[in-house]
Amino acid sequence: MNFKHKYVFLFPGLFVLIGILIFPIIFVVRLSLSGWNSYNGLNFIGLENYVRLFTDDPRFWQSFLRLSFLSVTTVILQYVIGFALAHMVWKDIKFQRFFRVLFLIPMMTTPVIMTVIWRTFFHESLGPVNDILSNFGMSPKWLTDPVLAKFTVIIVEVWQWTPFMFLLLLAGLLSLPKEPFLAAAIDGASPVRKFIYVTFPLMAPISIGAIIIRLIEASKIMDTVYVLTSGGPGTSTETSSFYIFIKGLREFQMGYAASMSFTYLIIMIISLTVIAKVLTKVMLKD
Amino acid sequence: MNLIAENLSYKLDEQFHLNEVSFNFKKGNIYTILGRTLSGKTTLLKTIAGLLTPDTGEMKFEDRDFLKVPVWERNIAMVYQQFINYPHLNVFENVAFPLKQRKIDNKKINVEVSKSLKSVGLEGYENRKIQELSGGQQQRVSLARSLVKNAKILLLDEPLVNLDYKLREQLREEFKNIFSQGLSKESIVVFSTTDPKEAMELNGEVIVLDEGKVLQVGLAKEIFENPKTLKVAEISNDPPMNILKANIGENKIKFEGIEIVLPEHLSIIKDKNFNLGIRASDIQLSDTGYDFEVELAEISGSETLLHLKRGNAKIITSIEEVMNFNIHDKVKINFNTKKVYAFNESGTLASSPFGGSYV
Amino acid sequence: MGKLYKFLKYFFITFWAVFVVAPFLWALTTSFKDFNSVNGGATYIPWVDFEPKLEGWRVLIKSPAKGGVDIIEPYFNSLFVTCTASLISIVLGTLSAYALSRFTFKAGFVKNNDITFFFISQRIMPPIVLSIPFFLFLGAINLLDSLIGLIVVYIVLLMPIAVWIMVDFFNKVPREIDETALIDGCNPYQAFFKVVLPNSIPGLIVAGMFCIIFGWIDFFFAFILTFTEVQLLPVKIVALNSSITPWWSLSASALVSVAPLIIVAFIVERYLSKGNLSGAIK
Repeated sequence: MNFKHKYVFLFPGLFVLIGILIFPIIFVVRLSLSGWNSYNGLNFIGLENYVRLFTDDPRFWQSFLRLSFLSVTTVILQYVIGFALAHMVWKDIKFQRFFRVLFLIPMMTTPVIMTVIWRTFFHESLGPVNDILSNFGMSPKWLTDPVLAKFTVIIVEVWQWTPFMFLLLLAGLLSLPKEPFLAAAIDGASPVRKFIYVTFPLMAPISIGAIIIRLIEASKIMDTVYVLTSGGPGTSTETSSFYIFIKGLREFQMGYAASMSFTYLIIMIISLTVIAKVLTKVMLKD
Repeated sequence: MNLIAENLSYKLDEQFHLNEVSFNFKKGNIYTILGRTLSGKTTLLKTIAGLLTPDTGEMKFEDRDFLKVPVWERNIAMVYQQFINYPHLNVFENVAFPLKQRKIDNKKINVEVSKSLKSVGLEGYENRKIQELSGGQQQRVSLARSLVKNAKILLLDEPLVNLDYKLREQLREEFKNIFSQGLSKESIVVFSTTDPKEAMELNGEVIVLDEGKVLQVGLAKEIFENPKTLKVAEISNDPPMNILKANIGENKIKFEGIEIVLPEHLSIIKDKNFNLGIRASDIQLSDTGYDFEVELAEISGSETLLHLKRGNAKIITSIEEVMNFNIHDKVKINFNTKKVYAFNESGTLASSPFGGSYV
Repeated sequence: MGKLYKFLKYFFITFWAVFVVAPFLWALTTSFKDFNSVNGGATYIPWVDFEPKLEGWRVLIKSPAKGGVDIIEPYFNSLFVTCTASLISIVLGTLSAYALSRFTFKAGFVKNNDITFFFISQRIMPPIVLSIPFFLFLGAINLLDSLIGLIVVYIVLLMPIAVWIMVDFFNKVPREIDETALIDGCNPYQAFFKVVLPNSIPGLIVAGMFCIIFGWIDFFFAFILTFTEVQLLPVKIVALNSSITPWWSLSASALVSVAPLIIVAFIVERYLSKGNLSGAIK
């Protein structure tokens, strides 16, 4: 089917999207080639920013590693926990509806707002967590210890976004055909075998899809970090977005921030596309 | 008011779905497109409908360049093999849809829809939802919607293939009635099928299609009696016609150590080597006959299809009862020599029991 | 074995349920506290551990002049921006999705899948990349701190979601239905609106839900691109965080802000059980 009408369908959305995007992107590139900061305007300094970025800014690359660590860890945890939860409320469970709705709730809340609450929750002297743990003689520095702060961020992210994984995976489980399970039952497979050989393989495409989706979203972690730790303590939870934010909208080194933004964008597009393609190939091979 | 096409070709992924197809359809007639799966039947119907545009070729209808007319202006109707109806509308609304689209007033719509539903035997089903209907009923709704339009061209793409055997036979009968009574004398009906029996029953002009090419055009009887090529003989028979390599010598047909007296209608053949054709139904089991070995016995309905082997020759014979055979059993068979066909080495019909020849 | 598994199952589920509910409960009790109840260390049960006060909640009703917290206006601002951007995204996105599902496009080496990928890959775009140029750009055309500016930016966030979900959904509606509509006399526009769209309502609802969710929860763009004139809810709450707003008002405001979304959770669960979401993921 090919009619001239097809353009009328496609173009409004496409052009609006390109229209909104094109100027900012071009501007970012142009900005990255300038030394715009509090003193200079839109001058032209060529690739100076990029040179500085690649040779003289370890903080950027460290922020990148931190980002990778945080996002990959949270996604893996979300996947494992989300799958477990989805599988458990899939069938034969009391109060099924109640649990399903309950487990969806965190995803429906505004992350920043919840993080504000988490900040009080994990408060080292006045918060409930340390209050309870003090009975066991522990008083972890949730927000002030460089290593622990990372895990606090992960805990909050896992609370917030596991429901999303849970939703995608439960939807997937509910859409699985019944026949393979009937066959397994006839063959007398134990629940463990059933999971390993029937459920999990059947869920493979959906799992890959859910992981890719969550990975894309997780790579943009910003809100939680901003509210919970402000990148700290020190720079232990500083993600790339946060560092760029500091440089661009706090220190107003816009030109340099633009070069960071652009580099960050290209890296994310390439790495996420590669990961998506690799995961899809791995799945197709099985 | 003829639908005339010339050299329609359509290529997709290096394969010809239509290869220089030409035809001349006259109003008031039924045309059957006979071909195997993937022979181009659906492509042809979709091209007539306007859903596909051919790469080359011309098509004229009522002296208009039909290819320039968009689908929605072509005044056609189509019934698919997959029971297509509008899921969000009930039966009445489904059938009324094309009339509403033409802005016909409601009173007339009611009359026409009722008439149409009656002709397909679905009176009283107006308020049912599509999802509640069985496959056969859904297909009837599709048919009713197609008939209500009084379209000039009615296309049916293997409409019975997804129905069970009994329903298929029943609807085939009903189709014939509908086509002869309900349709105006102005319409062209194009019906595609893979089943030669269906083509014979419809008894219209048959166009045999294979790999996008038109192999033969003729009345159903003609195709049956005088298939132009080996391929046509294969497509127009179920089970396919048996083809054996044979030669003629001393007034006898010889193959695989068998010698048969040359039947009269084959005496006109000039070549010594030829392809012998004989239908499965024209081979009988007998106590005295030629020895063959059983390779496979298929029970189909109330008949048995026996796959037999002798040397390099493999044939199928159909027996009108259910019999049990084991692999490697030895049987004796006889050929009804009056019904034997001869095709020359390039595959063209040289002589048929009905006097046809394309050489 | 079966019993052990069952026990573990309920244990794990209960554990997670407690984890889910914990911050809400904490915020709830905290909202009834005052200075003493907070600063002496963590307290939990009203009347047992501390003396409940309504100050945290009164603050929501008091006007800002008297030290209150106005969340009504940010609430409606968020609602307006989210709904408008979602609506535009869904309308434009659905039309494009239909084209990508049904028709073939080819411009050089760019084909359907590439165009679809272009739409969907916008989700990869880190907000920071767009926010700096938008900050300068909107400033230049005087759209900073405006609702319209935000709506425009949100379209980039939400249209990919609409396209993603609807392309997948349309691929599941048989083409033959479109074709039959065309044969019955509809031009492609009519075929879309009269036949395909009515059969796509579930998909539209799912797309709508996700657009609204992801639009509502945005903090970053609203934070960067608005200041005083226009305030969105997330920004407002966070602003409370950094000022000297006490924990109790903070908790009360936060709870009120997230409460409505819980209704959405019910709706989503309904659709989940009806089996409408599975396709989008593949």
